[in-house]
Amino acid sequence: MQFQKEVEILAPREKVWQFIWDVDRFIACVPGCKEAKTIEEGKRYSATMVEKVGPFKVEFPTTIEVLEREELTHIKAQASGADNKIGSRMKLDLDVNLREQGDKTILGFVAGVDILGKLAALGHGIIKRKADQVLDEFAQAVKTKLEGDR
Amino acid sequence: MLRRFRLEEPQSVAEVSELLGRFGESAKVYAGGTELLLAMKEGLVQYERLVNVKNVTGLNEITVTDGSVTIGALCTHHQLETSAALTEKLPALKKLEQNVANVRVRQVGTIGGNLCFAEPHADPGTLLIALGAKLITEKSSSKREIAAEDFFVDAYETALEADEVLTKIQVPVPAANGRSAYLKFGYLERPSVGVAIAFNLNGGVKGVKVAVGCAGPAPRRVAEAEALLEGKSKDEAERNLAQAGAVAGRAAQAISDLHGSQEYKEHIVGVLLKRAFERALS
Repeated sequence: MQFQKEVEILAPREKVWQFIWDVDRFIACVPGCKEAKTIEEGKRYSATMVEKVGPFKVEFPTTIEVLEREELTHIKAQASGADNKIGSRMKLDLDVNLREQGDKTILGFVAGVDILGKLAALGHGIIKRKADQVLDEFAQAVKTKLEGDR
Repeated sequence: MLRRFRLEEPQSVAEVSELLGRFGESAKVYAGGTELLLAMKEGLVQYERLVNVKNVTGLNEITVTDGSVTIGALCTHHQLETSAALTEKLPALKKLEQNVANVRVRQVGTIGGNLCFAEPHADPGTLLIALGAKLITEKSSSKREIAAEDFFVDAYETALEADEVLTKIQVPVPAANGRSAYLKFGYLERPSVGVAIAFNLNGGVKGVKVAVGCAGPAPRRVAEAEALLEGKSKDEAERNLAQAGAVAGRAAQAISDLHGSQEYKEHIVGVLLKRAFERALS
């Protein structure tokens, strides 16, 4: 499943960039993400993703690896996790791009999400919709947080 | 494999509500079990307790009073497909029930379970919305009515509160000139698209209700499609059906999945709306 989102943030690019690397504040913007830890500064992180569709709940202990980092411009990261309780795996390929537009910063991301295992029984459509909601909420939360700080 | 759980056997709605309130998300109502037990066996959901509601009396009756048919939430699909009251008063619902899933599911699956589990590809919710049904719910100390169109919130999510129990479904009996139909289409075990229409033929098409289900996350009423048919003569309404179908297709919030692409489902909504209108008239 591929998702592409863009959010316009009324804040300078440096500030958005710093925010992305402030793990605690950043993670607070990811719906259902908790227990974020830095394993290796700027390279590896861990977190637990908890998501819910009606009565169906998944909990993915997730490792996040930063593959590429271009100062103030681009981050490429990969995350993967498994919920052994319900026998499902999640893989996320994330490309984050920042560009300036006047006094605003455009935060764009392309996410490739794969859900494997029993959870897929819920149906591709339902999972896609949920992932889309999560990404929208995330984008909105980042915007609110950064613009609220001004 | 089914993991161990404790089976609670309450005898009244108040007890069911109390148990649900006390144990929260670790408990779940168990009626027919046709959806719940499958999900539990697959390990997709786990509950410490199942609250068996089948011992609660008075919830598996169908009664006709004051212009409405009241269906107990524990009525099985089989009970509904063979009900004389439905044959006489709500033939479209009876027809729908005859085609729910398969004979094994219909024997034990209940109408209440079907609505409360809110599986997106279920049939009854869509027609109940078009028929203007009300869902009666109870908690330990209170009772309320939820319009069918407000009951479904999202995929697998309803307006029910944690300790609230669906007890009855009240369906108004259509007027003598009332017409209704539900049609579905799919090529997998569950339908890809379901469309329901209800209206009165009273010097034209009046009181039109259109609902679509299965295509999107939850069944929903499509007021914009209704407006294109409302108050029109039969011929005018027929001419507007293509446009109403297109509107309903877009409103269905169809999602692309194994049951078909978004565009395909939107198209089928239009086809089914046209046929449902014809069926309702025949």
